[in-house]
Amino acid sequence: MGNKQTTFTDEQLEAFQDCTFFTRKEILRLHSRYRELAPHLVPLDYTNNPDIRVPLALIVTMPELKENPFRDRIVETFSEDGQGNLSFNDFVDMFSALCETSPRELKTIYAFKIYDFNRDNFICKDDLQQTLTLLTKGELTEDEVLLVCDKALEEADLDGDSKLSFSDFQNMISKAPDFLSNFHIRI
Amino acid sequence: ISSHISHLYLTSPYRMILSTIKHHRCFCIELILYVCVNQLLAGAPFGTTRSKTIPKEHLASAQDLDTIWSLGGYLQYSVLFYGYYGRVRKIGSAGYRLPLAYFLVGMAVFAYSFIILLRKMAKNSRLSLASASDENFTFCWRVFCAWDYLIGNPEAAESKGAAIVNNIREAIVEEQEKKKDTSLAVLISLRILANILVLLSLAGSIYIIYFVVDRSQKLEQEKPELTLWEKNEVSVVVSLITMIAPSAFELVAQLEMYHPRTSLRFQLARVLVLYLGNLYSLIIALLDKVNSMSSAVQVSLSNWTDSSSYLATISQPEGDSPSTLVSEISVFEHHNSTIATIATVLYVTNSSRSSSGTVSNQTVLFEKNSRSQQDQCWETYVGQEMLKLSIIDMIFTVASILLIDFIRGLVVRYLSDCCCWDLESKFPEYGEFKIAENVLHLIYNQGMIWMGAFFSPCLPAFNVLKLIGLMYLRSWAVLTCNVPHQQVFRASRSNNFYLAMLLFMLFLCMLPTIFAIVRYRPSQHCGPFSGQEKIYDIISETVASDFPLWFSKVMSYVTSPVVVLPALLLLFMLIYYLQAIARSLKFTNNQLRMQLQTERTEDKKKVFQMAAARLQAPEAAADKKPDQLESDITSQEVSIHSPSPRHNGSITNIRSPVHRGNSIRTITQSASRADLNRSVAGSVRSPAVTVLPKHRLEHIPNRPPPLLGGSSGTCRSKSYHYMAYNPPSHCSDSIHSDPLYRKTIRSLHPVEAAGIITAQSYGGRRGHATRYVIVNEHEPRKKLLRSATRIPRHYLMEEPAEILELYPRNVRRYTPRTAHHQPHSEEEEEQGKGRKRMSSGKAHRPRSLSDLHQPAHFYIGDRVESHMTVAKDSHTARRRYGAQEDDEEEDARAGHNESYPKSRTRPKLETPLTESDSASLASSSDQQNSSTDQYIQVIHNKERYLKSEARQGKMAKKKSKTSFDLNATGSKDLVCSNV
Repeated sequence: MGNKQTTFTDEQLEAFQDCTFFTRKEILRLHSRYRELAPHLVPLDYTNNPDIRVPLALIVTMPELKENPFRDRIVETFSEDGQGNLSFNDFVDMFSALCETSPRELKTIYAFKIYDFNRDNFICKDDLQQTLTLLTKGELTEDEVLLVCDKALEEADLDGDSKLSFSDFQNMISKAPDFLSNFHIRI
Repeated sequence: ISSHISHLYLTSPYRMILSTIKHHRCFCIELILYVCVNQLLAGAPFGTTRSKTIPKEHLASAQDLDTIWSLGGYLQYSVLFYGYYGRVRKIGSAGYRLPLAYFLVGMAVFAYSFIILLRKMAKNSRLSLASASDENFTFCWRVFCAWDYLIGNPEAAESKGAAIVNNIREAIVEEQEKKKDTSLAVLISLRILANILVLLSLAGSIYIIYFVVDRSQKLEQEKPELTLWEKNEVSVVVSLITMIAPSAFELVAQLEMYHPRTSLRFQLARVLVLYLGNLYSLIIALLDKVNSMSSAVQVSLSNWTDSSSYLATISQPEGDSPSTLVSEISVFEHHNSTIATIATVLYVTNSSRSSSGTVSNQTVLFEKNSRSQQDQCWETYVGQEMLKLSIIDMIFTVASILLIDFIRGLVVRYLSDCCCWDLESKFPEYGEFKIAENVLHLIYNQGMIWMGAFFSPCLPAFNVLKLIGLMYLRSWAVLTCNVPHQQVFRASRSNNFYLAMLLFMLFLCMLPTIFAIVRYRPSQHCGPFSGQEKIYDIISETVASDFPLWFSKVMSYVTSPVVVLPALLLLFMLIYYLQAIARSLKFTNNQLRMQLQTERTEDKKKVFQMAAARLQAPEAAADKKPDQLESDITSQEVSIHSPSPRHNGSITNIRSPVHRGNSIRTITQSASRADLNRSVAGSVRSPAVTVLPKHRLEHIPNRPPPLLGGSSGTCRSKSYHYMAYNPPSHCSDSIHSDPLYRKTIRSLHPVEAAGIITAQSYGGRRGHATRYVIVNEHEPRKKLLRSATRIPRHYLMEEPAEILELYPRNVRRYTPRTAHHQPHSEEEEEQGKGRKRMSSGKAHRPRSLSDLHQPAHFYIGDRVESHMTVAKDSHTARRRYGAQEDDEEEDARAGHNESYPKSRTRPKLETPLTESDSASLASSSDQQNSSTDQYIQVIHNKERYLKSEARQGKMAKKKSKTSFDLNATGSKDLVCSNV
């Protein structure tokens, strides 16, 4: 055990670099962050691609996510099993999609998934309600929430099915002035 | 309570105005300090001249708290006020011209304020213009884009959450306001009543102020010693009014039931008027007093020498000479001014006499008289009043913060347990931080400065200190004992609203000062302008004495009407010209905005059409089905070749001569072309994308080929064809095939979904393809059916005749956008349109609209399967033929631009080769060529027609090659599809 413990092989790093928007250094830092979450679970040596998943409860304690009302959804969206258990790949994926350099389209896709609580590929009224409740921490009254949901659907639903399809969502997001600036996490 | 930090998000106008004011005031202070310091350093020290000495009779009380409180005593004779500054033209060894500097600085402060404000406003309006966008998605944005994912600290998160809630509430209230409607008559009468109330209270406040000023003057004259209340009556009343009236207005505003934003504006306007009214009535009352004072002085001075003896006789009844004098003065005054004035003068003289003691001869009397006049430095008086007002205002603000906010907060917080009702939510509640009113208060303060700065040079400095202190106090109060405003409405999105108010205030506050400067004669015995007829004479005097002769000459020319009038004219012309330019720019701006808007609405339309296309997809499927059945041959071939849908095309070709003619042919070719390209690229993914278009391609519309070629994307051209294609197919539709077809489609969808994930990686390869996939995934299949009812009208509206026009337009618009993120919608739209037209054209076909299904959904693999099933019974011979065609395509793809194969194969398949056929061949070849460069193709198409005959020879050559290619390519394609 020297100072130079190899976490990843060069090939692994290359692969990560190709698949994400991160540099080598950032990936290593991500790994250390990942390991911090569950030191007993995550080995330092990742060269043999161990199949390790960190549960959602640990992930959301990261300061980057801790205050985010949608933290659970974010983690669930990026977890392969849908339960919120993140492998390191998922972990890197998550921050890659949310980093500053990732393109608007990608972010739109993931934003859609995050806000699609029931995963039916539509943002329906229930999804909207949940979003609002999380966002406002239940400070709005029932009526207000319903009104906002109706209005939001009315605005963005172009095909009249009273739920937002991805194209509706994309159309709406593409015109939002501060989506890009708001929808990213710096790690 | 920490959620109140959200105030900070909302107080931006407050902060902005404050910073503007501070910024500009700092400059003013610098200027003024310059004057002050120079005066202090270089000017005669305190006590050396009369204007800087406290009169003996006042010396005793000069340090009393009472005196200092009323800004008398030492303060009155300090740099704080106008009266202190000396009149010596040049002071110090450097020859500092204090009077000139004083005047110029006074004017520069105004000029600078104007410039700063205007610049700030211009900048703001530029910013607001840049960010101007119609809020289409108010709610959506507030829900989906509100959270800042960067927030990682609990406090920030909390305040952001509160801000979001506020934001959403604002939107909700706005929405509710839209709906609300009460009976108009009641509303109007209520509003009239409210306005009457407001007007009454405004008039009342003005009257009260006037009355108080008047009363204070009378009191001053009647009583030698005034109580504390009497001395400060004026400012206290003014401050009280400024504090109470806004709340009253707010109550009244509730009567009106305006939209919150409107009512906020009304409220602001009313409060502003109130503040202005207060300041104005105060300054007018003061100036009135000044008027009497200065006129009294003037009269006494001018008449003193010549009329004294005469007057003395007249005033005999009065008794001794001093009193005679007084009476004489008073008599004179009586002639030209009010009784009140007389009283003042009387009082003044009386006091001076009593203090000095000896009143025997005229010289003493004169001395005394002048003495009294010196006391009557009206500029200082005005300055004193303004400063007093400012101080009292500060005290009241602090008191109101402590009482209304802090104490109330404490009471509500700690006494709510021992009270029978809920203090926190019912009656006293917590104080609200009213942004608008606080901003207005700042503006009011600034107005005070502008009014008083000339007469009390240190007023700005004092005010800055005061406002800084108040700001910290306020922020503390806001954070500890205020709740957010119930209805948060910004008066305006651009901060220019408040700046405009500030500007308005500046203008109106400047007027009285300027008026006083121009209209009144400066005090004779105090201040830098003493002894001059008018204050602004200092300029002409300086020009005359301190500048070379030529300069004064030039100045006299410049100020003569000969120059001034043309200059004015020029200015007007310039203004007019600039205005014209501004107007035209505005016009252009509007036009551009309209253009943007139409673009946007068209975007929307596109999305609609996309949905329409969706719903039509079933129909398309139906169409295709028959085709496929008919062309089992082709399908068979497909099974061999995997993805190449062109089998359909081949069929069409066969049939086309019969039905339509040449153009169909061309289209098929282009489709195949696309195929080729894709396969060349060789990526596994691409097939899926490209396959979709192909299905459609087969069917060529009657439309002239040039149009098709014009579109940059091969996919697009294909889609057109597809729509057009329908007619031929429908003649032979087989109903039973439909269900099958649909089923396959359904099964495909999962695949598509999978495709999405890969989509992101497509990136550079094919922008539109990627998007296409995404759209497919998310687009609801069910939706299509439902939307069918909705969408048709768009399509129906378009007449078949329009088609030609539409396409070119679309093409033009879209080409630059291919890289854009919405191409898919365009494609879809086009397809939709095309189909729609078709369907509308064919009235006999009932299910055309609803049944159309998007062929785009097919993935290669699935597709192949379906084809296979269909094609089982197809004739091998035909299959063969189809294969050949494919090969040809392949060749073309390989880089040979010449098109050949068609002609060759044709003869085999179809015995009757008509003229139209040959034409079609030609056009098809064109397409192939053009697929590399679409634009060229458009141009060339016609020529090619002619050339087609010539080419056939060439094509023949390639025949052998194509047949050879056939097998290899077929296998390759198959592999692709399987993957």
